Amino acid sequence: MKVLPRLRIFVATLALCACLPASADAAMYATMRAAFNPERLGAPTTLSLSFRIAGGGAPTLLTGVELRYPSDLGFATSGLGLASCSPAALQARGPAACPANSRMGAGSALVEIPIGPEVVKETAQVALFAGPSQSGYLQILVCVTGLSPVAARLVLSTELLPGRLNIPVPPIPSLPEAPYVSVMQMHLTLGGRLTYYERVRGKDIAYHPPGVGLPRSCPRGGFRFAASFNFFDGGRTNARTTVACPRR
Amino acid sequence: MAQPARVLDVRDEGHLRFLKSSGSVIFDEGPAIGTFPGKVRVRFTYNGEPTVTAQFTITGAHGSISARATGKLSSPTTPNPSFRGSMKVTGGSGRYAHVHGSGELFGVFSRRNYGLTVQAIGKLPY
Repeated sequence: MKVLPRLRIFVATLALCACLPASADAAMYATMRAAFNPERLGAPTTLSLSFRIAGGGAPTLLTGVELRYPSDLGFATSGLGLASCSPAALQARGPAACPANSRMGAGSALVEIPIGPEVVKETAQVALFAGPSQSGYLQILVCVTGLSPVAARLVLSTELLPGRLNIPVPPIPSLPEAPYVSVMQMHLTLGGRLTYYERVRGKDIAYHPPGVGLPRSCPRGGFRFAASFNFFDGGRTNARTTVACPRR
Repeated sequence: MAQPARVLDVRDEGHLRFLKSSGSVIFDEGPAIGTFPGKVRVRFTYNGEPTVTAQFTITGAHGSISARATGKLSSPTTPNPSFRGSMKVTGGSGRYAHVHGSGELFGVFSRRNYGLTVQAIGKLPY
């Protein structure tokens, strides 16, 4: 967790104050949506994923997300993440520190910060990058940057396993004496109109990487996605969605 | 009286170009040069596991040889990760209808254009 300079003083204070997470509500539930654009079997596509966590009571501290996706989607053969970004550089300097060819997608997140009786909402920008591989698996870095009212940057690291993506979410400090930030919504786009560069005869030529490959056949019932959300109090909720088979 | 099996000493290299894909499966094709020249067609699977698989067929003047290989991919976040592993012959046709044996496969996968450079090495009785 890296807090931007203007709030460094608050972070120092945070070390002294007891910042307890908001209490979890047993009635928390989650919904998710997934979409391909274009929807054409056998062709590269852009994958969009959205999550929303809701429920009565105070916001609940999310500690991890496990995403499950069809294992025959061509993530590893997407042409995305041809360079890797240093997590330390990303944490220190933000997305500008990463090579263009390491960018894999973008998105946004809605977080909630309980301050006294009120809940303040903040929208943060999300950027996805390829990180250095340590075990032979592709590494994805999720960079979440919020500016106001809490200026903070969070870099999450996860391995792209076949059909599975585990994203641990560490506690995100907010304002002094306020509970941690709770992630309530997230929208991610993997692929999209990214610009990469390749060296051809001494010149950098721009191109657009193709994106996630869809298989040539659709599974019966469509492409199934599911996610499990784990909370600080040990609670857990699940969500699932299906992308219908594209028309031929 | 049975004739002793002849041995095909394969040391081939292929520079293959992308034909089509289906999710995490890439189909490539191209010429093979070496001790068993001909045409190579490969079905290459890379689903995010460090282990990749390649099913390929080399078709020469007097028949074809099919094999399956698994290999470990190194440096997956580079534009051209390499892999090496073992291959096992799964079948043949023509003069090589009874080919069998195993060998090694080396390769480089272009994540930019999905091309493959592969080298197959093995002594295969037929």
